[in-house]
Amino acid sequence: MLDVRNLTVGYRTRKTVVEALRGVSFDLQRGEALGIVGESGCGKSTLGWSVVNFLGANGFIREGSIRFEGEDLVGRSDQELQQLRGNRIAMVFQDPMQSLNPSLRLGEQMREVLTYHQQMSTEEATTRCIQALERVHMPDAAGVLDRYPHQISGGQQQRVVIAMALLNNPSLLIMDEPTTALDVTVEAAVLDLVAELRRTMDTAIIFISHNLGVIARICDRVAVMYAGEVVEQATVQQIFHAPQHPYTQGLIRCVPRLGADKTSSVLYPIPGRVPRPDERPDGCLFSTRCQYVQERCRHELPALRQMPGNAWVRCHFAEEIDPAEWTPPPDAEIAPQTPPPANAERLLCGEHLKKYYRVPGTSLASLFGLGEKKFVKAVDDVSFVVRKGTTLGIVGESGSGKSTLVKSIIGLESIDGGVLEFMGVDVRGDLSKRTLETIRELQMVFQNPDSTMNPAYTVGQQIARPLERFKTVPRGQVRDEVVRLLRAVRLNRTYYDRFPRQLSGGEKQRVGIARALASHPDLVLCDEPVSALDVSVQAAILNLLLEVQHENNTTMIFIAHDLSVVRFIADDVAVMYLGQLVESGPVDAIYAPPHHPYTEALLSAVPVPDPNANSTRVRLEGNAPSAINPPSGCRFHTRCPRRVLMPDGGKRCETEAPMNQDAGDGHVILCHLPLEVLRHLESGVMQAGM
Amino acid sequence: MTTTTAPPELESQPGRLNRLREALAIVFSSRTAVVGLAIVIFWLAIGVISLFWTPYPPNAQLFDPNLPPSAVNVMGTDHLGRDTWSRIMAGTQVVLLKTRLATDPRVVIPGGVAIWGVIGAVLVGGLLGVNAGYRGGAADQVIMQVLDAFIAFPVIVLYLVIVTALGRGDVIVILAITVTGAPGVARLVRGLTMDIKTHDYIRAAETRGESKWYVMLWETLPNARGPILVDAMLRVGYAIFAIGTLGFLGLGLPPPDPDWGSMVNDARKYIYSNPLAILWPSLAIATLVIGVNLFADGLREEITRYQR
Amino acid sequence: MARFFLRNLFSMFITMLLVSAVLFFLLEVAGGDVTVRLLGVFATPAQRDSLRRQLGLDAPAWQRYLDWLAGSDWRAQQMTPFPLVTMPNPQTGEPGWWAVVDDTLTRWRLADGELIAMQRTAEGEETTTPAGDVWTIDDAGNAIFWGVDVNNNLVKWVRGSDVDVLVLSKAGVRSETGGPQQYIPLRKGILRGDAGMSLQTNRPVSSTVFSRAANSLILAGAAFLLVMPLALVFGVLAGVNEGKLLDRIITITGLGFTATPEFVIGVFLILIFGIWLRWLPATAVFLTGDAIFRDPKILVLPVLTLMAAEFGYVSRITRASMAEVMQSPYIRAAFIKGVPRRRVIFRHALRNALLAPITVIMLQINWLIGGVIVVEVLFGIPGLGAYIYDAATFGDFNAVAAAAMLTVFVAVLTRLIGDMLYTYLNPRIRFA
Repeated sequence: MLDVRNLTVGYRTRKTVVEALRGVSFDLQRGEALGIVGESGCGKSTLGWSVVNFLGANGFIREGSIRFEGEDLVGRSDQELQQLRGNRIAMVFQDPMQSLNPSLRLGEQMREVLTYHQQMSTEEATTRCIQALERVHMPDAAGVLDRYPHQISGGQQQRVVIAMALLNNPSLLIMDEPTTALDVTVEAAVLDLVAELRRTMDTAIIFISHNLGVIARICDRVAVMYAGEVVEQATVQQIFHAPQHPYTQGLIRCVPRLGADKTSSVLYPIPGRVPRPDERPDGCLFSTRCQYVQERCRHELPALRQMPGNAWVRCHFAEEIDPAEWTPPPDAEIAPQTPPPANAERLLCGEHLKKYYRVPGTSLASLFGLGEKKFVKAVDDVSFVVRKGTTLGIVGESGSGKSTLVKSIIGLESIDGGVLEFMGVDVRGDLSKRTLETIRELQMVFQNPDSTMNPAYTVGQQIARPLERFKTVPRGQVRDEVVRLLRAVRLNRTYYDRFPRQLSGGEKQRVGIARALASHPDLVLCDEPVSALDVSVQAAILNLLLEVQHENNTTMIFIAHDLSVVRFIADDVAVMYLGQLVESGPVDAIYAPPHHPYTEALLSAVPVPDPNANSTRVRLEGNAPSAINPPSGCRFHTRCPRRVLMPDGGKRCETEAPMNQDAGDGHVILCHLPLEVLRHLESGVMQAGM
Repeated sequence: MTTTTAPPELESQPGRLNRLREALAIVFSSRTAVVGLAIVIFWLAIGVISLFWTPYPPNAQLFDPNLPPSAVNVMGTDHLGRDTWSRIMAGTQVVLLKTRLATDPRVVIPGGVAIWGVIGAVLVGGLLGVNAGYRGGAADQVIMQVLDAFIAFPVIVLYLVIVTALGRGDVIVILAITVTGAPGVARLVRGLTMDIKTHDYIRAAETRGESKWYVMLWETLPNARGPILVDAMLRVGYAIFAIGTLGFLGLGLPPPDPDWGSMVNDARKYIYSNPLAILWPSLAIATLVIGVNLFADGLREEITRYQR
Repeated sequence: MARFFLRNLFSMFITMLLVSAVLFFLLEVAGGDVTVRLLGVFATPAQRDSLRRQLGLDAPAWQRYLDWLAGSDWRAQQMTPFPLVTMPNPQTGEPGWWAVVDDTLTRWRLADGELIAMQRTAEGEETTTPAGDVWTIDDAGNAIFWGVDVNNNLVKWVRGSDVDVLVLSKAGVRSETGGPQQYIPLRKGILRGDAGMSLQTNRPVSSTVFSRAANSLILAGAAFLLVMPLALVFGVLAGVNEGKLLDRIITITGLGFTATPEFVIGVFLILIFGIWLRWLPATAVFLTGDAIFRDPKILVLPVLTLMAAEFGYVSRITRASMAEVMQSPYIRAAFIKGVPRRRVIFRHALRNALLAPITVIMLQINWLIGGVIVVEVLFGIPGLGAYIYDAATFGDFNAVAAAAMLTVFVAVLTRLIGDMLYTYLNPRIRFA
């Protein structure tokens, strides 16, 4: 149905033409789902855009053909393409809020797809839209048509976008990272929907994602892209169980498994980074990072060759490489394996912490300071302990209050209630109330590599500043100390005079870690430090953090939404929902039953990078409630899938706040359901990877 | 690898040179900016030359009034018989090159009225804006409310009020340009600050326990300099524009030094007998303002492209 | 929405208050000695002092600010038992201050050391009678009387005082002995529509300002209404064709117009159409108030000048906004849905693209007012701009302050309208 041959796409820049895609070939059968996977900058999205021949003002197809239902799309006029777009070929993008027009009602945006392609009357189109919305399980489908995009939640927006794409029963649907902007439980529900639609419709899907787990759930076949080329194409089983290209093998080795922790497994990052278009090597593009590189690879571009079992690989030596015999290269960045120290002293302890934010009222009375005062209970009655030399992982979806908790600990916000002690010192106040000694002991690593460094200063200046400020070393030795810190995060001294814009994401994150370490802090708070990084780099940063911890006996608090990452790095885990800790305890206890129903749902939502994983699905319904008006009783009762197991059908959950139940060994669950019930839930969460 | 000798200091100097080269490359990669820069440099050159030489003394009444252009007077003469080209040349000085102090007009400091006015506006507006943006809350509200009051004035009305209240003079005009420009700069800087504030490196500085002023001056402002620079350029254009308008209204820079706006105003009365006399200073103002605008526009386009 | 409106209204009120304070203190406090202008440079310090007292300038600045803002009659009323009222003068229609004594409008003046009461009858006739014994004895034992004089001041007369006083009247300045000791100039304050007397014409500012403002409104309104559609259309055209020839032409033309001062454009237009081609009058000659309506030709060049100045800015903003929207993901999404280009532009892009310029256009009113001043001076149109200009060159504080307040009010009001319009048109705020 779709046959792409030797596709080369270029972008004109001021000076030259940059090739974003080079010689890409693949085909797609009716009803089939092809996954496109690869790191950022590999040309995945460009591939999606070029299929509909919509490459913007400076992009163009240099070479190759795109045959769709027997006709070549290359060189067709805009008019002809317009007939196809939205009709035979539809697209779904990453951020639903961005792809919906903010100032048009959803009904109008949906209807026009029908009225333009099918000359349908408005009434008929409306009926069809409602049907389409019902097909994607949209509550109140008719009402949604009259709303504006901002009036529905992100998950609902993505459902609308999918419904819109399917209105004309397209034969090809291109989905470009459709769940990346969504929370993990919402992502799981959208993926369920896509899987269900695949069963009921014969639409072929090109599914673009960086997330191997998501690809494994949805796709029949997978094309792995690297630097604008397809390096391997095979069935999903082959890709995950018998990858042939060294890059594919590397990708799979560097993803933390949900069942894997730091004592039982090791992450092996791929060294180096994806080359930019202007610095691509001659010969095999992967040769600069390949462990098996030979002289021939550096000169000769390998062809995409067919291998046994309908797999295609772009490697000279695919037959000779056996992943089973793989050994890590001697200079690989691998974290040392250390068991957590037993019975270490308490470093930080919080009891009944509260952080409320005033919400500006919307009523007329509030304008004059009257009326009811409203608060967002961002952190409400949270207690925890962090022992020296260990890592506490905090997990939760957006809006759960995990970031606020960290901000309060580091002192960017003051605390409104409860006790917070660091090494016996009261640190309830914000930074302005803390001594320099306390400040230097608490440092932070930030999420976004692009904003963690000040673009106006060199790497050296930025690491030197905390050294000077905290007087860690005498003035004359600052430069040497900076170089030492750079080396500690595996950057050489030539980085000293570089500016942030000359660094890759992973390198910026390393500098961020070096800066945090400059004052020799006792506690480092990591706010999603790897979530914006590609998987291969993510593994390297995780290893680096473990190494740093090992060498300095640093304590860490590690926030993440990715449960596999937390499992890998943490010793203790706390799960947050709407400002409360619903479950906390040692990492092994959290990832094994008994689970809090919310933890159970989170775990079952994680896309596992294994096509054979079939977990029992526990899905949450509805949207997360607002923290301004949290539900009464148990805050989770509005979405709890296990409420029905309560003797009275869950009436008690609505009225009465649950108490913490001790499951032993410091494992605490905030739920009304007895531990016995929780322990024997029919949850298949851990089947994968265990 | 274990060497501890200090790396040669030369390392950073090529870096600085590179940055200069980069900045120049930005200018030269935009045709608009190059054209604008050429016009500005032309007028700067004319101004510098006029400091040492003009065809005739600009204030001397050597000829018959209202002569048409001729080989002797390339642009003709004005209503007092002064050479128009000499006066046009000298007219660049007060705008771009020198400021006469109020106490004694003969005491001159380098830098024209437009330049000092804009520097004042950028300093005042920048400080207010970064404080409003970074501190937020009540400080922000108070600062912005006060600035709103100044923004609410039509610029020329505010000029008229200031001139009515304080009289004429180079320093007064500088003050007027500062007062009218500062609120705009403050709004810009506030917006930039609020954007920069969201970046993690600001959090990093705060978790280092840096003072508010350190964060504002050393962490925030350096990253706002591109847009501020472009805005300042545009403001130089507005300032030249405003000086011309004030001169035209007879309220601008005091005599005797020639000023283009006043020249238009003088020539206006003889528009029927000597229409060209009004054309030359008008053209001078228009080209200089357009030049500055083109330069700023080109620069802005390139900087945004560069940042993308 | 109502809340948003109220908050904006409140902020607008504060802004106006601040503006009035800035104006007052700049003009009245920093403005130098007004008596030099009125009495000339040869007056003696004593004469100046006397005049300052008569103008109420001996009161502290904050007191005068409140008088100017909210009126002095509140304060004056406490001095006299007679209610103070304003009545229009039958001849000029200008309001004058009177005290009501036994239901009769009364003023007083001093003749030969004795007070004479001037009364106006219900028919508008004026009669004079000796005031009789109205004096009261104050703590120091002086016989005093607070009354309204013919110059709209509340005056404290002291019987038998031999201090020389300069009295400023419509006829000029004359010297008087024995009497007026303290003056409270009576005014309702600018908040109540009384901006005081013009120092230049000695007539109430309010009576002139509004008729002048009407002329300006016609001029600016015509220019605004004509240029907006043009500038928006061209801005959208340029934005949709970003980077193409049409865009370049529109952008450069716009830049040329914005960067050229109004008086330069006006001069060029006069040269071309007024002098070389002789198609249109080069200057406006307003002999009567309705000249604009009788010969609209005189407005053509001024309006064109203002339009040129406005065009560049508005088209630029619109272009930038349109170009940005055309690059946005939801426009790409609309194209990918197969929606025709025409509909993408008109239905999807235009509404979002025009939102941003609304507030900017309304802010542009400020710029337009500046242009109006220049254009009125250049073309000799008796509007508000020319009025401010004349007042400013003369140093007529009351007139400048009042006219400036009016322009600021117009500017702030249009900004409020712009903000409200923006809020209303933006569904993200409307249905928040």
